[in-house]
Amino acid sequence: MRPTQPHLYTLGYILLSGSLLALLISSHWWLGTTPAHMQFDARLIPPGGNHWLGTDALGRELWARTLAGLRISFWVGLSAALLGTTIALSLAALSTLSRQMDALVSLLIDTLLSVPHLILLLLIAFALGGGTQAVIIAVALTHWPSLARVLRAELLTLRHAPYIRISRSLGKSRGFILFHHLLPHVLPHCLVGALLLFPHAILHEAALTFLGVGLDPSQPAIGVLLAEAMRYITAGYWWLGVFPGLGLLMMVLCIDRLAFHLRRAL
Amino acid sequence: MFRLRRSILLGVATACLALTVNAYAKDQLVLAIGGEPEQGFDPLLGWGQYGNPLFQSTLLSRDRDLTPKAELATDWSLSEDRLTWTLTLRDDAYFSDGTPLTAADVAYTFNAAAQAGGRADLSALKEARAIDEVTVELSLNTPRITFIEQLITLGIVPTAERENGYSDAYGRQPLGSGPYQLVEWQEGEQLIVERNPYFYGTPPAFERLVFLFTGEDATLSAAHAGQVDLAALPPALATNLPPQMQRVIMESVDNRGILFPIQPSSGEHAPSGAPIGNDVTADIAIRQAVDLALDRETLVEVALHGYGRPAFGPADGLPWSLNDEAFEAPDIARASELLDAAGWQLNSDGLRYKEGQPARFRLTYPASDTTRQLLAQASAEMVRPLGIEMQPTGRHWDEIQREALHQDAIVFGFGSHSPQEVYYLFHSQHAGFGYYNSGYYANETVDSHLDAAQSAATVEEANQHWQAAQWDGETGYGSRGDVSWAWMVNLEHVYAADACLDVGELGIAPHGHGWPITANLLEWRWSCE
Repeated sequence: MRPTQPHLYTLGYILLSGSLLALLISSHWWLGTTPAHMQFDARLIPPGGNHWLGTDALGRELWARTLAGLRISFWVGLSAALLGTTIALSLAALSTLSRQMDALVSLLIDTLLSVPHLILLLLIAFALGGGTQAVIIAVALTHWPSLARVLRAELLTLRHAPYIRISRSLGKSRGFILFHHLLPHVLPHCLVGALLLFPHAILHEAALTFLGVGLDPSQPAIGVLLAEAMRYITAGYWWLGVFPGLGLLMMVLCIDRLAFHLRRAL
Repeated sequence: MFRLRRSILLGVATACLALTVNAYAKDQLVLAIGGEPEQGFDPLLGWGQYGNPLFQSTLLSRDRDLTPKAELATDWSLSEDRLTWTLTLRDDAYFSDGTPLTAADVAYTFNAAAQAGGRADLSALKEARAIDEVTVELSLNTPRITFIEQLITLGIVPTAERENGYSDAYGRQPLGSGPYQLVEWQEGEQLIVERNPYFYGTPPAFERLVFLFTGEDATLSAAHAGQVDLAALPPALATNLPPQMQRVIMESVDNRGILFPIQPSSGEHAPSGAPIGNDVTADIAIRQAVDLALDRETLVEVALHGYGRPAFGPADGLPWSLNDEAFEAPDIARASELLDAAGWQLNSDGLRYKEGQPARFRLTYPASDTTRQLLAQASAEMVRPLGIEMQPTGRHWDEIQREALHQDAIVFGFGSHSPQEVYYLFHSQHAGFGYYNSGYYANETVDSHLDAAQSAATVEEANQHWQAAQWDGETGYGSRGDVSWAWMVNLEHVYAADACLDVGELGIAPHGHGWPITANLLEWRWSCE
């Protein structure tokens, strides 16, 4: 059968994202200590022949630091997205157990959605003392409600589907129905939800780090690079901010488009 | 017709705006030259110790060559036994509310400061007494050669017994006899001050000063936008100045170095709750190796863009510091020998270990300070080939006090016009109090040298003792002795000033807190029409 146009796009984006992902993950081995290597005689060199994207105030190669930063952002984003999706799925599943549980989950979703998530994000990250774990937890805790609402609606609809009723009449337990019939059905939604959450998580990681409540400033995270660049940008060292920013934008755009096409395909 | 009218109105408005801006610039200065004092503008709690108290006057002040000169006191003398200072005050000094400043205010200031436990060290003061309206007598418990420093730095406040007198709220509503009076202070944002109409000296050229409390990047942005007339810049960011501004360099005795925790970790905590000690830096071989590995010339280039010079002590070039403390650095081979001899063995992971303890420790710096960040990161890179891992860690000052102050190596900065600071930094009596001797350095011989310096009969004799505390041939706090610090650089203070602002002939600045460039504020002029 001939693949449809959306499938081709999806395939293209999967390939593109896969290449980026492979490049990022493999950079852990082939970059080595390059992002941290200082060349005191090559400080603040603009982009050019020997220094592709230029160097920073300590003579560190910006291309290597940007790549290392994107890798950190990727893992933080992935962890936060997976954790957020797990929370959303767990609560959505709980809501199918009883009316009271459903009311409680709905209340929780509505409460969290009514609070500006950036403020909540900052408060949680600050309360947890900053760092990678704090960012992951803060992003996950503030970004599950939308997905949970979608999953809950889907599961509640499915609960009244004929095959579920048949399964129930055959004496299958709630747990069996949940794990064998309901959850497999919503897994594609989870995948798309996680992919949509992913770019959000990356951007929020960068934002939190930029504001000083995120990752350790000694790590070459994108937020750290952007925060450092802020100090130098008015002194004319534009490349310090432009390339990490562009890298972040490209990665987020790529994952976002992938999620979009995947959602259409599914 | 309508368009023509609109053009005329626009032209008139622009002209008015231009005139306003011109008048504004001549009569008011906007300064972004550092942060604000946390405890307010209260001399009893430390305000003015590192610069011009602005709102208050001091008994004496310094000339450009750092010699004391008359200020509120027109005449001063020290008794033969060096236990009594007698000072005669000028009779035309008034507080900014129009009431006269008398000997009673001076006596109150000194007695209260001794009780307050602020940065002013008045532990040698027995009693301050007003003899008459213009004569005050300061009695000491013990001869203290550096006591004159308090006459130069302690701003005089009104006695608590009078109207508008000193109170707990004084730091937020200071009343003094200095050239300016406080109009409004929005903490964390700005301070507005205006001329004190009762100031006894030549009135300053500018009616109003606005101090902005911005971060480094915001300060630079404001300078580029032409919103400030004078901005303090980190040297690394002072390369490209906006066209309307000139670079002003102020010589200083301001330094940066690594303060090491000297005591091993024993589970003890300071009264603040901060843990004390570090097992790695407690080993002198580690401190010596770090000291030897630092390439100070490169640090000056990397962190200061050349605006500074290498540092080998807390007071390089000053009379109370040794001239021969400098050494050839970096000397990696010698550093490696010292570590080998001390039992720090290089492992296959590139790190040295001694009895299972890795040669690894945090090097903390205030996260908002670009210069200290660069120094920390560059120096960590310099010691890495030795097998020592210094982990640069940026923290907020609150976190430094709470967590790091006594257990991390810290990139600190000091630098004073007085040897009193050497006493604070290295005397065991000051171990654990504030930032000075936060590494709990203690050496009885050094203590005895420092005490001998304080009770010396002459400045020359005192200087010999100050120098002996640094290195007496057998021990000392310096590089040849206990290496309680690894000094890195001496800074030049870099400012971006409006091309029309003439800041006169600048003196030598102490450490940067307290707006040292304002020391000659009365000489500042606007040179453009």
